[in-house]
Amino acid sequence: MSRVFVILFTLFRSGIVGLRSAAGTALISAVTIGIALFLVGAFALTIVNMEGVQARFSQKLSVTAYLETDVDDEAALEIAERVATVEGVEQVTVVGRDEALERFRGMSGGAALLEGIEENPLPASLEITLVNLNRTPQGLGILATALDGLPGIDEVADGREWIDGYARVTSLVRVSGVAIGTILSLATLLIVANTIRLGIYARENELEILALVGASRTFVRTPFLIEGTLQGVVGGIWAALILWLAYLLLMPQLEYGLMFLLGNAVPRFFNGGEIFFLVAAGAALGFLGSLASLLGWRR
Amino acid sequence: MAAGKVSFFERRDESPVRMYHVSKSYIPGQRAIDDVSMELAKGEFVFLTGQSGAGKTTLLELLFADERPDDGQILVLGRNIARLRGTGIPSLRRRVGVVFQDFKLLPRRSVEDNVRIALDVVGTPRREARSRVFNVLRQVGLQHRRQHEPLALSGGEQQRVAIARALVTEPEILLADEPTGNLDPDLSLEIIELMLSAATRGTTVLVATHDISLVEKYRRRTIRLDGGRLAEDTPAAGGIG
Ligand SMILES: Nc1ncnc2c1ncn2[C@@H]1O[C@H](COP(=O)(O)OP(=O)(O)OP(=O)(O)O)[C@@H](O)[C@H]1O
Ligand SMILES: [Mg+2]
Repeated sequence: MSRVFVILFTLFRSGIVGLRSAAGTALISAVTIGIALFLVGAFALTIVNMEGVQARFSQKLSVTAYLETDVDDEAALEIAERVATVEGVEQVTVVGRDEALERFRGMSGGAALLEGIEENPLPASLEITLVNLNRTPQGLGILATALDGLPGIDEVADGREWIDGYARVTSLVRVSGVAIGTILSLATLLIVANTIRLGIYARENELEILALVGASRTFVRTPFLIEGTLQGVVGGIWAALILWLAYLLLMPQLEYGLMFLLGNAVPRFFNGGEIFFLVAAGAALGFLGSLASLLGWRR
Repeated sequence: MAAGKVSFFERRDESPVRMYHVSKSYIPGQRAIDDVSMELAKGEFVFLTGQSGAGKTTLLELLFADERPDDGQILVLGRNIARLRGTGIPSLRRRVGVVFQDFKLLPRRSVEDNVRIALDVVGTPRREARSRVFNVLRQVGLQHRRQHEPLALSGGEQQRVAIARALVTEPEILLADEPTGNLDPDLSLEIIELMLSAATRGTTVLVATHDISLVEKYRRRTIRLDGGRLAEDTPAAGGIG
């Protein structure tokens, strides 16, 4: 058992020796992995934030149905009762005409607008919330159809178009992220494989000698896998650091631009698990790159 | 083990090296080894002689599976060389020490590292490895050079590093290709004595050499190759193994 540890230690050490002996190329390959992961990470960060907005928005989602101005509060109550029976409706609150007026006055500039107007111009409305499951474009569609058939309803504001549009933008970002990520990963794999291949050529003499004194295939190959994996880990840490710096430095500048995408939500950075995933992705790239290069090498 | 039940692999008297009608050509029609049969006993010390190009290096290479025979059977430590697959070759090589004609040292590693590499591949604990390396370097008279890189050493010193690496694992078989080729006569004798004492501890030693004076001085069993054929097999004088 202790021999296994000694061998593992030896292999790890020789992986590090390999890294040091070709520090230049190893650095290039770590930086390459870093750049690829930085770009992919930037996409991922955008996507997690956009998904967060979508989720929060859906949680708070409520539909407002404006009634015609000639519907009085009593009739409004009757309509509300019928709406409450529609599939997926959780709660219906009636906002009477007087209350609507009060709310309008409370808004900034509202009082000034109402000056000189004698009669209450505002209609009563229904505030409808849906059960969790129905807070989706489909759920909203069911509600909209039901409301269409009811008399007394003037206009429905349900934010459905906004949600649809936002979901489309999110998935566009996601698809481009995945596409760019795939291309970059493949390119990165090639570069890592090449770096490791160079290392193999540079140490062919040593590898031959190892084989002659009885080193197994695993013994000869493992240091290169360790080398590639370490390059990937360094690349991943790199990417996480640069992303974090970019997050800190650019966020204040981008705040207005991001409001378009994120609304009032404060963009968040990756959490610990996500950073770990980024670094692990680097390690995987490095490992696979060196594996590819070893598979193409015969001896 | 129960008396009378002796397994094939553990038979005491089994020769560690056996060749039957072995041939090997690098170029079709030109046999570097031509129908050679021989056996070496455990703990035997044997010289392998012959002119340049006679096939000495090739024969050694066949024995540690660096080359494959075209014909015949080779059994080393009970294994059929021609049938070794996968981990078979490395695990055989760990039991066979080889001194290469061209040393095969790692240029950018210290003498100490070069010797220890043979222990690294089997995972010898660091402490044990350190003391074994130190001892074997003292035996070849290089303990004071252990931090140097091979290129800083003379040809004879490099050769002794190669010998130390082959001996450090206390192999069951030692194959040495011109191990005294770069040494002056006094040092040559010391190195041969070292290998003789390995043989008395049970290692089977096969030494390829041009140096007739060594062969004549020690009068051990001597196998002479000529154009790839076994020309002469002279037993040791006085019947010592
Ligand atoms: N890799 C090879 N390719 C082609 N021919 C080879 C190869 N290795 C050896 N030979 C040939 O095989 C024959 C035996 O060579 P070998 O190296 O075994 O001789 P040797 O007895 O060790 O010679 P020396 O005393 O010069 O070391 C020679 O004719 C040599 O030219
Ligand atoms: Mg030779």
